Amino acid sequence: MSDLLMYLTNGVVIGIIYALSALGVSLIVGIMNVVNFAHGELYILAGYFSAIFASALGLGPIPAMVLAVAAVFVLGLLLEWTLIRPTYGDDMYSLIITFILSIILQNAYLFIFGPYPQKPPNWISGASNLFGLFFYGNQRLLCLAVAVGVIAGFFLVLHKTWFGRVVRAVSMDREVAAMLGVNPVRVNLLAFGLGCALAGAAGVILTPIFPVTPTVGVGVSLTAFVVVVLGGMGSFSGCVVGGLILGLVENLGAAYLDSGYKHLFGFVILIMVLFFRPAGLFGQKQL
Amino acid sequence: MKMTTWRKTAALAAGAAMLLGLAGLASADDTIKVGVVGPRTGSAAATGTAFEEGIALALERINAKGGVLGKKLEVVFEDTAGDPQKAASGLEKLITKDKVVMAMGESHSSAALAEIDVADRYKLPLIIAEAWHDDITKKNFKYVFRAGPSNSGVVDDAILGFIKANGFKRVAIVAENTDWGIGIKDLAEAGLKAAGVATEVFNTERKSQDHYTELNKIKNFKPDLVLAFVYGFGVHYLIAQSNEVGLVPQTALLLEGAGPPSLWPDFWKNVGDAGNLELFVSSMHKDVMLTPVAKEFQDAYVKKYGKEPADYKSRSMFNTLLIAADAINRAGSTDADKLVDALEKTDLTVCSGQVKFGTEKGSYRYHQWQPPMLIIQWQDKQQVVVYPKDAATGQLKK
Repeated sequence: MSDLLMYLTNGVVIGIIYALSALGVSLIVGIMNVVNFAHGELYILAGYFSAIFASALGLGPIPAMVLAVAAVFVLGLLLEWTLIRPTYGDDMYSLIITFILSIILQNAYLFIFGPYPQKPPNWISGASNLFGLFFYGNQRLLCLAVAVGVIAGFFLVLHKTWFGRVVRAVSMDREVAAMLGVNPVRVNLLAFGLGCALAGAAGVILTPIFPVTPTVGVGVSLTAFVVVVLGGMGSFSGCVVGGLILGLVENLGAAYLDSGYKHLFGFVILIMVLFFRPAGLFGQKQL
Repeated sequence: MKMTTWRKTAALAAGAAMLLGLAGLASADDTIKVGVVGPRTGSAAATGTAFEEGIALALERINAKGGVLGKKLEVVFEDTAGDPQKAASGLEKLITKDKVVMAMGESHSSAALAEIDVADRYKLPLIIAEAWHDDITKKNFKYVFRAGPSNSGVVDDAILGFIKANGFKRVAIVAENTDWGIGIKDLAEAGLKAAGVATEVFNTERKSQDHYTELNKIKNFKPDLVLAFVYGFGVHYLIAQSNEVGLVPQTALLLEGAGPPSLWPDFWKNVGDAGNLELFVSSMHKDVMLTPVAKEFQDAYVKKYGKEPADYKSRSMFNTLLIAADAINRAGSTDADKLVDALEKTDLTVCSGQVKFGTEKGSYRYHQWQPPMLIIQWQDKQQVVVYPKDAATGQLKK
């Protein structure tokens, strides 16, 4: 029983983290129909920034994180303006551009930050005895709380603000939204920046637990894409459910089947979902 | 007028072409090229940095002593990223485009197993430095040598001896799902079971950053030693997390079977206090100087990089290049068969001992030379050699 609880706890923690990094992908896909292959690289850039701001500038964890996410947000705006905007109308171009960007960024990181993993100091040390049954890292628990907070904040913005209404309108029907007076160019710019900032948020929250190296972004992107497809393209609640399912399936599979093939279980679930519900769990059928 | 301009241009072009050709010839004539393969990106990119250091120091030493066959030795370093496909195409590029006369290096078994097929096909002498899978030399390929540890050698000589000498009763093996991890895990499991030590194996993914599930299973097994065969930065996460779940060093010690990751920069930043009492396998320790060459390497390293060498793979690469240069000089030629002949007759002092390759076919010992391996424990951030006894600089702490 204590084992099962431990696996479920870890599944939820990892799942929420997956969901957070997938939300940014989903936002950009939903609004702009752009699949951002460099998502993982922006995630690790924020991780590097938070480590550097903490060590070089001597900032505390929270200012370092906020500053890192802000920097990635600004970079996201610049990327949209310079690289993505000229590709409007052709999804294939944006796909190739972001793919090339991811390779360039990986090599730039290797050149600038070196091959060794980097992390900011932990916010908190030690482990807690959960339910009196097993020990669980305090840093992970705190990360879970912050990630839940960021996701809640995102949904609040989405459902309670003018910007959220615009985002939902554009992701439902771009043309009608434009006819009703929404400026799609500006929404795209903001959505891309915000999507990148969400990648950055996931990065700064996770870097204390999983230090960043120049190439770990590939795995981050891949998992985010799996979660987005699992939940349904463009569905935000689908992202959260998809992330949780993936986290739980991986952990329970590793616990009760074989821990050598953890990531395989995620893909098996993905194939099954695509087989029975091709649009994903919460996706809408294309007309 | 037009004609003269045309002629001038033609003459200039011809002159430039000749100069370029001469320059090409000159560089081809002045140097002898050997190739190095190894990970410069990916989870073991730090090994690439160690290799680069070893290459730089070896080239300085070899070329200061007159180079090879009266020419300068030159190294072309190709990235394999630990990926078999990249490794095979990288070595093929070194052979066909760079025209290297010999190749060496590698620290991923999966990549090395792909490279030995290429070396065999192109008849290129290849000296593996730090890929441990037995099959690399067990296949008995004529052109393939290994001047470094093998799984069997590390398990039999170092790990099993250490476990028996210190009376560990329950050993949990956690191994990554790669050629190296699976290969060395099988050997260790068989050896421990034969020695009557209670053993259980837990698989993990090489690219996984989260090990809580595996660690919880390991904790339920109640081991007094965790044997970790995880290479790259992954082992840092494993050590940090094994501390969080209350396993290491609270109820068990951890012996890391790959070595250098425990010496990489930021090891302490990544693992925190969990690194204290951690054990690892290494062929190098600053107080253990097996040969005069080791001291020379140490001094040259400190002079060039302003710090003590940490990752012993810089020294493995250094050794391998010395072996290659020695063989080329004794062969008196760059002909592949003559080089193999010369390599088989190697009797050379390098940092970690006297190199002599096995020449009897039929086992992994063919074309294999293994440096002695030490087991080192971190005690208050100091490296203490705890095994073998005759090289020990301190006692094992539990």
